[in-house]
Amino acid sequence: MTLRLLALVPLAVGINLAMGQIVSLLALPVYLDTVGTVLVAALAGPWAALATGLVSQLILGLFVNSVLLAFLLVQLLVAVYAGVMCCHFRVFRSAPRAGGSGLVLGILAASASWPISLLVFGGVTSPGVTLVTAVLGGLGLPLRWAVYVASLATDIVDKTATFLVVYAVLSALPGRLAGRFPAAARARGVAG
Amino acid sequence: MIRHVEGTGILHRIHPLTAFGLAVSISTSVFVAPPPLGPVAVLAGTVILAVVSRLPSALGRTVVVSVPFWGFLLLIHGLLRHDPGRAVVIGSRVSTVILVFAAVVTAVQPARLVDALAALRAPFSVGYVFSATLLVVPRLRDRARAISEAQQCRGLRVAGSPLGRIRAVVPLTVPLVLSALSEVDERAVALATRGVGGRAVRTVLHPPNAGGLDVAMGILGVGILVGSFFWRVG
Repeated sequence: MTLRLLALVPLAVGINLAMGQIVSLLALPVYLDTVGTVLVAALAGPWAALATGLVSQLILGLFVNSVLLAFLLVQLLVAVYAGVMCCHFRVFRSAPRAGGSGLVLGILAASASWPISLLVFGGVTSPGVTLVTAVLGGLGLPLRWAVYVASLATDIVDKTATFLVVYAVLSALPGRLAGRFPAAARARGVAG
Repeated sequence: MIRHVEGTGILHRIHPLTAFGLAVSISTSVFVAPPPLGPVAVLAGTVILAVVSRLPSALGRTVVVSVPFWGFLLLIHGLLRHDPGRAVVIGSRVSTVILVFAAVVTAVQPARLVDALAALRAPFSVGYVFSATLLVVPRLRDRARAISEAQQCRGLRVAGSPLGRIRAVVPLTVPLVLSALSEVDERAVALATRGVGGRAVRTVLHPPNAGGLDVAMGILGVGILVGSFFWRVG
């Protein structure tokens, strides 16, 4: 790991955790806790994103709520997906491309997280998602489908928003700052 | 975030890696132990450990996080699915994991954990990323607050219609992220001037030592795990 990456990872993890403050200020039904991970995937590639995702979830799990440790796999999935999409598909070339990639990630993330939510936590995770699960369960939907639908709805909105926020950040990135991260040009589709 | 609290309890005195090993052992045991009694018994044992270790803040934190969780479990499994026993099992497991990690993180000073990793010759990057992140997080949270106040002074509305609140995400996020990225080079230079990346092996001034209490806690951790396993299969 280069010194620049070593310096970047803690800051990206800090961004992941600080986003919670912005989301709670705006009272939005999303987490945006993978913005730092996706940003690092765009700036430095999949390996740095994996390190960011790993550290982020460990810090969240140890210092915020250890329940979140169970969702480590989902953070790593986000890192790998974002890294691959940035390297090979230039997802941040336009807003629709970024939004579409986030939507697909939302489906993947929900498919990866719902078995954990169901088997380990009995369908209870964050209050908003659990409330949707309870309402769907009350309407007669079997628990496993109620958990999946609730996770899907949340993750699609959250990951689409995450990719759009990272697109906005990359669009606003000054040329001098972007020049320090060669992978950023590829993710934005402005270089080979 | 859970913060370290000074103290002289058992978990404060043992080696940081023994404490984390014990946490992993108890967290595994609560899933291995046979339901419904097993998880409840492991939770009760963990509460006793936290009380003996004089960690009321960890207990308080666990109650705050667990109460809504238990509420939703009883709603979904107790009221909707008529299976309150399952709610108790899942709730006990989750509360045990929350409590044991809250207790260990409250008792173990992060700097001691980094020293323990360095003494084991773990790569410098592991300890650095861990400790630097713990320092960066509160600073970035403060910065996010300052940015939101500054943007509100300039007329940004953070309340009102959902569309208006969604529009406010970018003016709050972009300055935060760009300011963080502008620090990267400064930090990389600071690391280089401290000899990071060189071939010399770094040494620890005061490495944490393991003693008799660590052996006892190690035996306790292994004993809980093995006991839970035999209780399950027996």
